[in-house]
Amino acid sequence: MDFMVTSLLVYLLGTVTLVWPKKAELAAHYFGMLCSIVASGMVVYSSLKYLLSAGSRWLVDLSWGQYSLQADGWSGAFLLLTGVAGVIISIYALDYGKGYLGSRIRALGGLWNLFLLSIVLVLISGDAFTFIISWEIMALVSFMLVNHESEKKKTVSAAYQYMVMTHIGTAAIMVAFYLVGSSAESFSFVDMAQNSLYGYMKDAAFVFAFAGFALKSGLMPLHIWLPNAHPAAPSHVSALMSGVMLKVALYGFGRFAFQFIGMDVFWYGLIVMIMGLVSAFLGVLYATMEVDMKRILAYSSVENMGIIFSAFGCGMVLYSMQFPMLSVVAFTAALVHAVSHSLMKGLLFMSAGCVMHATGSKNIEHMGGLAKKMPYTALFTLIGSMALSSMPFTSGLVGEWLTLQSFITLSQQAGSPEMRLLVVFAFILLGLTGATALGCFVRMYGIAFLGRARTHIVEKAHEMPFFMLAGLGLEAVLIVLIGVMPDLLVNLMQKVVSGTGITPMGNPLGIMWGGSGYYALYSPALIFILFVFIGVFVVASVYRSSTFQTKNVTWNCGTVPTSRQQYSATGFSKPLRRAFDGILNPKRRTTYLRKEHAYFGRKLHYELSIPDLFNDKLYKPLQQMLINSSSSFHRIQEGSVSIYIGYTMVAMIVVLIWGVLL
Amino acid sequence: MEYIMTSIGLSLVQGFVLLLIAPLVAGIINKVKARLQKRQGASIFQEYFDICKWWKKATILTPYTGVIFVLAPVVYFMTSFMAATMVPGFLTGQFSLGDAFIFVYILALGRFFMTLSSMDAATSFGGMGGSREIYISVLVEPAVMLAILINSIRYHSTTLSAMVIDYNEAFFTVSAVLACVAFFLVMLAENSRLPVDNPDTHLELTMIHECMTLEYSGKLLSLIHLGSYLKIVVFLALFGALYVPVEIPLALKVLLGAVLIGIVETLNNKMRLFKVRVYLGAAIVLLLLAIIAE
Repeated sequence: MDFMVTSLLVYLLGTVTLVWPKKAELAAHYFGMLCSIVASGMVVYSSLKYLLSAGSRWLVDLSWGQYSLQADGWSGAFLLLTGVAGVIISIYALDYGKGYLGSRIRALGGLWNLFLLSIVLVLISGDAFTFIISWEIMALVSFMLVNHESEKKKTVSAAYQYMVMTHIGTAAIMVAFYLVGSSAESFSFVDMAQNSLYGYMKDAAFVFAFAGFALKSGLMPLHIWLPNAHPAAPSHVSALMSGVMLKVALYGFGRFAFQFIGMDVFWYGLIVMIMGLVSAFLGVLYATMEVDMKRILAYSSVENMGIIFSAFGCGMVLYSMQFPMLSVVAFTAALVHAVSHSLMKGLLFMSAGCVMHATGSKNIEHMGGLAKKMPYTALFTLIGSMALSSMPFTSGLVGEWLTLQSFITLSQQAGSPEMRLLVVFAFILLGLTGATALGCFVRMYGIAFLGRARTHIVEKAHEMPFFMLAGLGLEAVLIVLIGVMPDLLVNLMQKVVSGTGITPMGNPLGIMWGGSGYYALYSPALIFILFVFIGVFVVASVYRSSTFQTKNVTWNCGTVPTSRQQYSATGFSKPLRRAFDGILNPKRRTTYLRKEHAYFGRKLHYELSIPDLFNDKLYKPLQQMLINSSSSFHRIQEGSVSIYIGYTMVAMIVVLIWGVLL
Repeated sequence: MEYIMTSIGLSLVQGFVLLLIAPLVAGIINKVKARLQKRQGASIFQEYFDICKWWKKATILTPYTGVIFVLAPVVYFMTSFMAATMVPGFLTGQFSLGDAFIFVYILALGRFFMTLSSMDAATSFGGMGGSREIYISVLVEPAVMLAILINSIRYHSTTLSAMVIDYNEAFFTVSAVLACVAFFLVMLAENSRLPVDNPDTHLELTMIHECMTLEYSGKLLSLIHLGSYLKIVVFLALFGALYVPVEIPLALKVLLGAVLIGIVETLNNKMRLFKVRVYLGAAIVLLLLAIIAE
């Protein structure tokens, strides 16, 4: 029996918690999480089978209607990512979910299973209808999960914003499916791959598909729901949304790009690449300005999805320039970074949950010195922060390196000055993104976990229970494993890409450019061994003699340093805010609360807000335009019945005249 | 296999050699500066004495510091050392432990830990240094990426040993000269030298890198200083091997580069912090022109 279908049934079993008797809430929670762990484990197991076998496999082909389930290598890669995240985050949720005892914990468990179920269904659907239906279930369930803490007003508005945005995306995807499917024999994916779409209709299908999937993956300017929805959801839900749901959009887009629309038009890839690069930089820039831990992570998701899509777009451009073999590097980069981002963002959203659990706050300005209170959480968060800053020996650098290499590959083939300029533009943005990401996570980790406690909420912080730490630890171990020995994952992902019909060219970690005889090589294991070997020697020689003394606090011009004298998170990002104030447009307001002393002892109230560029410049004018245009209909809406009857009569007469004339 | 083992061995030897001469190069820079300022100056071996002195002293810690604080100097030193093993041209042949991007990211690892440690002592100075270091590094990074890009376009590889400048091809061409000038500007910013940062002062208005090291003493301080001296030598060697389009021995290039840094530091003042973006913008524009001219 195929494990894939069984796993769906186990997920379904997990939704039983929705109707579980209220007396045994805790049992319902454990049952739900256990079901999702088991089912996700099965997903991991069976996804490996699809990854290793080329071509597509039919799982279920229901002859009634057009519904079918089917999996190939491309879905296998995403199933693997989903399964791994599902297992680990569910383990974490065993303890984390207990915080919701008494506040609809049964619904949380059931919807959790339903969410995973719908994600898996999207990945194995074999036709447009199944895809759209499961896509819609995924959107609705995630809406309900975002809205779980519906007592908070902010949560509700975030959830409805997400609901509206995601449905705009679904509409675009449906149009794209319709355009492709109507030119093919049927709406099953196998037939749709043989479509006869050309010219403007093909362009339209591409634009709609990209808009829909870009919205779901949070590319700028379609990202505005993301930094609101992720902080509103419970932490394990945001971990799954950011780690997995955003990647499902990449899966859908990949299906369109590889199978339905093709990549032979140059500007398709160009748009994807440029939008990815811009999202990468702007996303991380906004992340660096935030003080809410989960909003930092949400904007960082925009950044990383940007990197993933820029690599994918780079591959599409290379493919359209008739270099299919070279494009494999870029597609592999996108996939590897997708897997690694799902691990590291899962880890950090979970540790944001730990911090909230310990302090009751998400605002890093109120923290400081958490590393002493919760050492294990601090260690795992450090690994996650390093990975998101793409430091060596973490999975973050593997994806980043492959992305950089794919752009280098593009530069080799860029003969014309315009292409050269494009590549330069790409490298400037990638450089800015990489360095800003480092700053962003140094700031987040340094302010929250290092130094001294800024407020009293830190004092009652404590280490997390076992299962929460286990979840963090598993992700951290996987991140370091992939970071030190990336060959296995990279080769697997390359196999997936080649399964879509593009011929690969050997090991992507040893990239060889045609004819030049030179390699670019990345063998982190070797560097890691040397680094650790000599590092241990240095550490030993430093600590051999115990000459460390902790006598007194830092000299502070004769006063005792207070914790308020530490740099704040807002202060830390000030130079960057000033360097990029043309983009960020920060709004400052300083009010003096007491004015009797001009310089000494006066109280200041300082307010800083950084409005989202697209929210201010795009969405608000758009909203205003909508309201204006609809208010112009006011004139014919008199409210008296006789006028409406008059309208109906006029309409009838027009129809009658039309009927007579035709 | 045997070839790789030998190459790794040679890389490590190179790392140790560079480590040994690093304080000397720093001493030469200081001597040049002193002479240009009509001072006698300390001996060129002064940095060796300083490092030995710090190594012998006790390490004083503030009670607020944690593991990161004592680990960061080791990581910083190790990243400089690993970068030293990767520089092409001295002992490494065709083999190199990592490519140009890995080189950049290894150094970024050191920066990651140093900026973190700056916040660990819970003082305002540390955070200030970390914040400014991040700001500078964000502006430097695009220029570094373009500097890698130009050589990889020219030599079809991002491996450092393959990117070594070919004198027959790039002897005083427009693009080679522009890239050379731009990389020199980048190198000054990367190594916290004037006009971006002033390594000599301890004044909150001017210092960046020194801010982060204020809390350190004893062995940890000597590790940090050794790491930064090594980083200068590594960058000088990389500059010589990859970007100077004149055929002279690499050791001489490093020496002349050190003298040049001394001269530039004497002739320039520290720049206002927010002017740095103009300075590095100039480097980016030069590299852009170099790539177009290539």
